[in-house]
Formats: sequence, C-alpha cells, structure tokens
Amino acid sequence: MQKKNMTMKKWLSSILFAMLLLLAWQIIYTLGTGVLGWWKSYAMPSPLGVVESLGKMLGNGTLWKATAYSLRRVVLGFVISLVVGTLLGILISSSDYFNRNLKPFLNGVQSLPSVCWVPFAILWFGLGEASILFVIVIGSTFSVSLAIENAIRTVPPIYIKAAQTMGAGKRQLYLSVIWPAALPGVLAGLKQSWSFAWRALMSGEVMSAYVGLGYTLMSGRDLADINQVTGVMLVIILVGVLVDKAVFSNLERRVLKKRGL
Amino acid sequence: MALEIKNVSRTFEGSMKETLKDISLSVEQGEFICVVGPSGCGKSTLLNIIAGLDFPTDGEIFLDEKKITAPGADRVVMFQEHALFPWLNVMENVKFGMKMMGVPKEEQNRRAEHYLKMVQLWEFREYSVHEISGGMRQRTALARSLCLDGPVLLMDEPFSALDKQTTNKLRADLERIWEETGKTVIFVTHSVEEAVFLADRIVVLSDNPGCIKEIFQVGLPRPRRNDAVEFLEVRHNILSCVEREVEKFAKEEYDHEKMA
Repeated sequence: MQKKNMTMKKWLSSILFAMLLLLAWQIIYTLGTGVLGWWKSYAMPSPLGVVESLGKMLGNGTLWKATAYSLRRVVLGFVISLVVGTLLGILISSSDYFNRNLKPFLNGVQSLPSVCWVPFAILWFGLGEASILFVIVIGSTFSVSLAIENAIRTVPPIYIKAAQTMGAGKRQLYLSVIWPAALPGVLAGLKQSWSFAWRALMSGEVMSAYVGLGYTLMSGRDLADINQVTGVMLVIILVGVLVDKAVFSNLERRVLKKRGL
Repeated sequence: MALEIKNVSRTFEGSMKETLKDISLSVEQGEFICVVGPSGCGKSTLLNIIAGLDFPTDGEIFLDEKKITAPGADRVVMFQEHALFPWLNVMENVKFGMKMMGVPKEEQNRRAEHYLKMVQLWEFREYSVHEISGGMRQRTALARSLCLDGPVLLMDEPFSALDKQTTNKLRADLERIWEETGKTVIFVTHSVEEAVFLADRIVVLSDNPGCIKEIFQVGLPRPRRNDAVEFLEVRHNILSCVEREVEKFAKEEYDHEKMA
C-alpha cells in the first residue's frame, strides 16, 4: 500500500511537471508573439494550436496514414539492417583480421549522421522508397554490427572455458554459450540501433517521400504551418519511444529478469 | 597410470620468469591429488594445461597414453567461480555438458537426476542460478562435472569463495562422492588444511620458478577430522617442511584459524 502510494505520488509529480511545462510554453507564446513581439505568430507554435493541428490530422487520416507508412519503412529497413549487421558483426568478432581492419571503418562510418547519405541515395536510387530504405539500412546496419561485436567480446571467458572443458565444439560454443551469453548486450545495442534507424528514416523521408511522418513534417513547413511541424515532431518522439519501450526495453527486461539481473 | 605429466614448463610471453619449470608427476587412476603453493606459483596454470585450456612451452601431458592437446570432457574442470550459465536453470545447467556430448535425452535425465540427488539439489532443479546460494551453485557445478562421467576431475580452488561452514560440508560431500565414483581428482588449493583433509598425495609447488618442491603422502584414514591430533600433525609437518615457500599463505591460514 505504502509502495503504491509512492508510485502514485511520483506519477502525480511527473504529470504536474509536464503541465507546468505546457503552461510555461503557453505563457512564452502569448507574451513572445504579443506584447514582447519576439516572434511573428506563424514562427512559434502554441500548445493549443498544436493540439488543434493534431486533431485535424487525426480527423482527416493524414497522421494515421503517415505513421503507418513510416513504420512499414522503418521495420523493413531495420530487418535488413539486422540481417546484414548481424553477419558483419559475426565477421568482425570471429576474425582477428577483420576485427583489426574493418571494425575501425565501421566505427567511423557509424559516426556519420545518416543525412549525409541522402545525396548518394538520391543519385543511386532516385526519389522514392528505395532511397529511403537505403538511408535507413546504412544508418543502422553498422550500429547493429558493433553492438553484436561488443556483446560477443564481453562474454565472460569463464563461460567459454567451462563449455570447452565439457567438450563443446566451435559451433556448439557459438550457439549454446556465446549467443545466449551475449543476448542482453545485443538487446541493449539493438535499442540504440533502432533509434538510429528511426532517425535515418526521418532524414530519408524529409528528402524524398510523398507520404510519411517526415513528409508530413515538411509539408507543414511548406504550408508555413508551424503547429503542424511541432505536432508531427511530437508524434515522431512518441512513436520512437513507444517502440523502444514496447519492443526493446520490454525484451531486455524479460531477459535480465530471468537471469536475476 | 591415469595421468602422466612429463617435464612440463610454461613461460608467458614478455615475462622472463618461468611460471612452471620442469614439472613431472604420475597420477594413479582414482587418486586424489592436491596441489598447494603460494599464490602466483603457477598451480592454476598447471591445472589449465592439464585441462587443455593452456599449453606448455615445453614438455607434454598424457591421459591414458593419449597426449593432451585440447580441452575435453574427459578432464572436466570445476572453477573457483561456479561458471554456471545464468540463462539455464539448475537442471539445464547440469545437462549442458551431456548435451554437448550428444548423450541421449533419456540418459541425460537419468544421470542428471542421479547426480543432483547425490549433491542434494534434486528439489532445486527448477531454480534459476541466481535463486540459489553460493554453496548450492558449486554443488550444481559439481553435479554438472560428474554427469560427464569422465575419468578425471580438475578442480581449481572450487570452495575458496565460500564461507567456512559451507566449505566443510562440501569437502565432506566431495570426499564421499569421490569414494563412490572412483574418479581421479586434481585439486588445486591454497589451503593446506583442505589438502590434508582430501588428498592421497599433496604436491607442494615452490614459487619463482614454479616447480615441485616436495610431494607428501597423506596416510591418514578416512573420513578425516580436522581436529584430530594426527591431522594437525600432518598439517603442521607440511606447513613447516615448506615453510619458506608457504610463508605467505601459512600466515594467512593461521590468522584465519585464529579468527574461526
């Protein structure tokens, strides 16, 4: 009972904080676009305006359709990244040669913001689905590889030794020891890869989509509708966080819980 | 002759010091050998070489006339840390090695039950590793090792991370199980008391370079009591005989005793 009260209290204080933030926003908007004259009213979103814009986009279906398209793209792109990235990750963790020589490259390329790939994407694949997919894949594949390499490298050597003295061969070692031992690390890494994929998607959609959250955001800019831009930004945050919580954090928590961590 | 260690030396790269120098030892089948020595004398290295996890820079080791070149289930190792897999429960951990060896499922279950009962953990077979105590984990690791039915059991200070009561209980368990199964055991420890309690022969290693200083035959009848006069006498003999070598850990042990 005590504990439940505490959680309630924490929740309430968080909600209160968010309300204060909204209130501050509204006050800054009112003063900044009014008496103080800092912004033109079209250059600053207001909480009410954003809510109104979101309501409109939900009502006419724009937002649903955009979210669905964006999610479809990112899921497809992320799955490709998972497959390619896992293979590359296994390559750099099982070969000293590639670990020494290829890993630094992957690290370097990974540090490049995915928007830098947009020119290539458009040159090679034109404006459209393929180029967006390319940006997502290139934006998250190496992160997957590095996550897998890191997780495998940090498997406690004692597990491997123990399995070897029990007669495990190389393949068995990989499947029955290294893989399950690396799983928590892999999941933590994939969480990050997911956020890279989600950001890359936006880079791609802003440039070359005809439908999707990134496109809706840009069309808000073209219409000089700053409330729409802000509304879409909030939706992008919301979807990113929801997928992270529902998929990755959830899986990670389950795996760790089973192991008592 | 079960295990034949012939002129084994080990030097680590970048170090002038020989970790092990010219170790030769013949171990009879079913014999319980304890290896003692100051920390850093290379006793764990010797065990790792026998296990095939490390390699001698010189010399060789034979198990039943077959040269040891790689790790194998005929020489399963029990480590200081339990080395159980946290993603498997107690039963699954015990069956792990048998799975690796392709033992049929029914036989796996039969042996796992047999050895889990032997270490008194059958009731805990569904528990996760993190739900059981340190002593229970080491007993699980012991059951896992025994299941493989190999002729040799290698133990690297398996009880040193446990409290005194648990350690005493596990020593007694191990002795009983060793007598039941007739395995050859190589047991590395820093505790002379533990060695005198368990061993048929005690090999004392010296430090820098690590070589065999002396081998003691422990003639005491089993089960041994560590408060018996004869026990203390043997223990004292070994401690004083190798005083210089074991100065560090003898002191440690006497201090420990005083506290207990």
